[in-house]
Amino acid sequence: MTEADPVDARRIASEARDRVRFEEEALELADQVYRVARRLVSTREEAEDLVQETYARAFRSWRSFQPGTNLRAWLFRILTNLNIDRGRREQRSPATEPIEEGDYYLYNRLEDAGAPQAEEQIVERLSRDGVVEALAAVPHDFRDVLVLVDIGEFSYRDAAQILDIPVGTVMSRLHRGRRVLKHELAERAVGEAR
Amino acid sequence: MRREEDGVSGDCGCAKCEQVLQLYVDRTLTEAECREAEAHLAACPHCAGAYRFEDALRRYVRKCCDEPMPFELKERLTALRTAYL
Repeated sequence: MTEADPVDARRIASEARDRVRFEEEALELADQVYRVARRLVSTREEAEDLVQETYARAFRSWRSFQPGTNLRAWLFRILTNLNIDRGRREQRSPATEPIEEGDYYLYNRLEDAGAPQAEEQIVERLSRDGVVEALAAVPHDFRDVLVLVDIGEFSYRDAAQILDIPVGTVMSRLHRGRRVLKHELAERAVGEAR
Repeated sequence: MRREEDGVSGDCGCAKCEQVLQLYVDRTLTEAECREAEAHLAACPHCAGAYRFEDALRRYVRKCCDEPMPFELKERLTALRTAYL
């Protein structure tokens, strides 16, 4: 064996540093990744598996990440692809009947149901569990977008890239998803009041 | 001051305001559309309340979903890191 070429050694050391930094930055995002994953699947166990698979794949294919681009979006692209690959789509939710209520529906219902209050307090008439359940009741295709934008705080454009769909589709699914969510919330709010 | 069923549908702007609610809250309206919506919001307490509610609801949903990552998972993820040294 000849001595390692110093140029090669420098290259290897520099790549190792890049890799360590990549892994550190990815791990710093783990809480956010978990929070979104938890709402995309039904159980905590599934969410944990999904996050672990996401990181395993991310660390294996770290070279395909272009430094300086959006690491968060890159990780979520892996996550949503894995989630779709897991065959989740087999349990496709039945076609939802059209929601007739408008965007003010939930507000009108809650506002009518109690004493005048600031909007910040009106939302608190909804229970935490009710919100989580209502979100879980939103069909997958709409929920993916809703969770990425409203919980992951991604822009329409990032969500479109992550899910590989046009921005217009993100907007329509988001609008639709939020309507379904509000419809589900209204049903639960009425149930709780009785 | 209240809603369409009170007989003020049509020209009052509530219906239009309801239509652009999502786009407004997501800050994706054009400047002109935004001004039009805001002019209506300034004059209509019900729509203004609905807009504040939408904003509050979004923050509330996020808060309700704030489930911390299990500690064991964090450890498992850290263990996936490449071993150097």
